[in-house]
Amino acid sequence: MILNARRSFLKSSFLSIGILVTLRGELFGAVSPLETLSLVQNDLFPFAGELGVNAPAYLGIALNHSRIRDTDKIFLRNGVQWLNEEALETYQSIYSKLSSSQRQSILQRISQKKWGERWINAILSYTMEAIFSDRVYGVNPKDAGQKWLGHTAGFPRPTKAFV
Amino acid sequence: MARAYGRFPPPYKGVCVKVDVCIIGSGAGGSPIAYELSNAGFSVLVLEKGKNFTEKDFSKDELAVSRRELFTPSLQEEQHVINQKFKDGTIERYEGAEYNWNFWNGSMVGGSSNLMSGYFHRMKPDDFRLLSVYGAIEGANIVDWPLSYGELEPYYKKVEKIIGVSGVVARHKFAEPRSSPEFPFSALEVNAATKWFDKACSKLGFHSIQTPRAVLPYDALGRSGCSYSNFCGSYGCATGAKGSARAALLQKCSAKIITEAFVYRLESDVKRVKKAHYYDKDMNSHEVEAKIFVVAAQAIETSRLLLNSKNEYFKNGLANNNGQVGKNLIFSGGGSGEGRLRFENLSESEQKELMQAGLFFNRSLQDWYEYNEEGRKLKGGTIDFLFEHANAVSRASREFYNEQGNIIWGDELKNKIFKNFTTSRVLSFEVFNDWLPTDECFVSADEKLKDKYGVNVGVINLWGHPQDLKVGEHLAKEAVKVLEKMGAEEISYSISASPPPNLVAGGCRFGENPKTSVLDKNCKAHELENLYVSDASFMPTGGSVPYTWTIYANAFRVADKLLEILRKA
Ligand SMILES: Cc1cc2nc3c(=O)[nH]c(=O)nc-3n(C[C@H](O)[C@H](O)[C@H](O)COP(=O)(O)OP(=O)(O)OC[C@H]3O[C@@H](n4cnc5c(N)ncnc54)[C@H](O)[C@@H]3O)c2cc1C
Ligand code: SF4
Repeated sequence: MILNARRSFLKSSFLSIGILVTLRGELFGAVSPLETLSLVQNDLFPFAGELGVNAPAYLGIALNHSRIRDTDKIFLRNGVQWLNEEALETYQSIYSKLSSSQRQSILQRISQKKWGERWINAILSYTMEAIFSDRVYGVNPKDAGQKWLGHTAGFPRPTKAFV
Repeated sequence: MARAYGRFPPPYKGVCVKVDVCIIGSGAGGSPIAYELSNAGFSVLVLEKGKNFTEKDFSKDELAVSRRELFTPSLQEEQHVINQKFKDGTIERYEGAEYNWNFWNGSMVGGSSNLMSGYFHRMKPDDFRLLSVYGAIEGANIVDWPLSYGELEPYYKKVEKIIGVSGVVARHKFAEPRSSPEFPFSALEVNAATKWFDKACSKLGFHSIQTPRAVLPYDALGRSGCSYSNFCGSYGCATGAKGSARAALLQKCSAKIITEAFVYRLESDVKRVKKAHYYDKDMNSHEVEAKIFVVAAQAIETSRLLLNSKNEYFKNGLANNNGQVGKNLIFSGGGSGEGRLRFENLSESEQKELMQAGLFFNRSLQDWYEYNEEGRKLKGGTIDFLFEHANAVSRASREFYNEQGNIIWGDELKNKIFKNFTTSRVLSFEVFNDWLPTDECFVSADEKLKDKYGVNVGVINLWGHPQDLKVGEHLAKEAVKVLEKMGAEEISYSISASPPPNLVAGGCRFGENPKTSVLDKNCKAHELENLYVSDASFMPTGGSVPYTWTIYANAFRVADKLLEILRKA
């Protein structure tokens, strides 16, 4: 039963509980993982929003998905912490308080690190999943991703989401 | 009309069902037996650990099927351990759940045959006598089959008719003999780009083959024809055109199927299997008594079940007093490659043709099924050409890196995705050559790690013989020539000893010598009177083609043997 209890804890608290960010051992403040991830998604692929795709909402679906491993979910959350630590080291400010160009430079810096590259890759992958998701997932109501590329999805289309 | 699946009888805890034949696993290996024996009036019960999905359940939801693996068990609940042996002799242990290394292929009624692409090739006569024709290779346990191509040929033909194989019979120097001149079903429609392929091949002096497919081009056999749904491999077929074991066989017979029935042990005395024990989804245990037991849980799981069924007569696992169960596991050797066909090199009408969605590519080469190197005759293989899968997320994800190998985002990524999706198409190839059987590639059961049922998980001990890579390289280089001739760009390939989990065989090889094989010529365990194995586990060598046509054919052959036995009894 320990595992089950842990799972439900993870589900309810994963994105809502703040992450404490420290700079050289000193507590700097708390950041919201959901807000940071949404901002990073937009910094990495703003075109999703322009298409009318709600990529942050999809990330919420993915992070509650029974088929995504806890380790992958925890990695995404840890990445928020490491990203902010990088922002503090470089600009003495948390990521969300930085200017757009400063945020890009932080993304560039972390992309050179192994964890950073993996983290950006994961966020981009979920963003692509949102962009090409079927309407049943509720985040791409107008098939905008498919229309953007003239992509023919397979048929028949699904009638209910697998979450 | 497809018949509904019967539940047989309600599997209350402790109730013991008695049938003529009990089959474990409802995929390509088990279903021909279920079909033939139930249609002949015998009582057949199939125990299948997965759920039942039918045509109406199959949609092309990339997120569910390809990203979240809807049709295979969660690795947190059921996994394999992989012991990979490296060149320097070291062995690294990977637990599947931790490393996300997945060897499941399709847990559902009909098994992974629901999800196959259905590229169908017969094995060639020389594949049945690899040792005699090509000689021994150091470090490889090559043997001749106890069966000839001629004996299996009528069953290949039967598969064409019952499963439904479409295509045009190729006449080339390695074409296998056939007892019928043509396929019963005409070829599927193909993309016009195949013309460029054919032209390139003819300039190179290669023989372009129209790949046979286990797909119906039109309504037949009580199933609908292909709708060219654009997502074939990895996805269930909503029309029934794909020759899955479920659509072609199980839906057309009265065999009873109990779903979500995980068989965890076979019980035996010294001569006969007495009972199959299985857990239902609520972990209630049930048992089935039968005159004959047929295991077809797919290679790896079949060996695992036998190894986990130890008892006082078979201390090393059922039918394993000679220590051969799990040995000589094989996969399809080879690898894959690709090239990009770009608009820049095509006329306007060619560009339109290239982008036609849904139509197949369906081209293969077998010019090097056998070739000479340094005066020695070598066994080569098959190359299948196909368009890159239409899955959008995976296609977009491959654009995440620039030429320098750095991850990109923003406009740079957006433009790259747009350009590659809208003005080019990737043509891929897959190389199939023998994965030579060795002592180092085998299945065992882990001593400690258990799955959600509390059963020891299977261990896949991996090792690829260097010869496999050599042959794969040779074939890939020939495939590259065709892509170059077609004007493809960004050509690349990868031949490796990393195994394709969906093309797996061996572990219970058949043979005449009971000391060196698990099964006899009829796929009956040497050591037991009523235990048969009818999936690809029986194959001592795999041929240089994907296995499923041979699995189906052999299972029909075994069904005939079982019919003889049951009729006599
Ligand atoms: C994406 C994909 C593409 C493919 N493309 C091709 C192709 O183009 N050409 C080709 O020739 N082949 C192809 N294949 C391979 C083909 O599907 C397999 O060769 C074939 O289905 C194997 O048959 P099988 O009976 O051994 O296993 P399966 O068809 O997988 O059936 C085994 C069944 O046993 C069940 N089972 C396992 N353990 C137990 C247990 N303990 N108790 C009860 N039930 C159990 C499983 O749930 C499963 O349903 C492809 C496979 C995949 C996944
Ligand atoms: S309809 Fe045709 S293309 Fe679609 S899954 Fe079935 S066989 Fe494949």
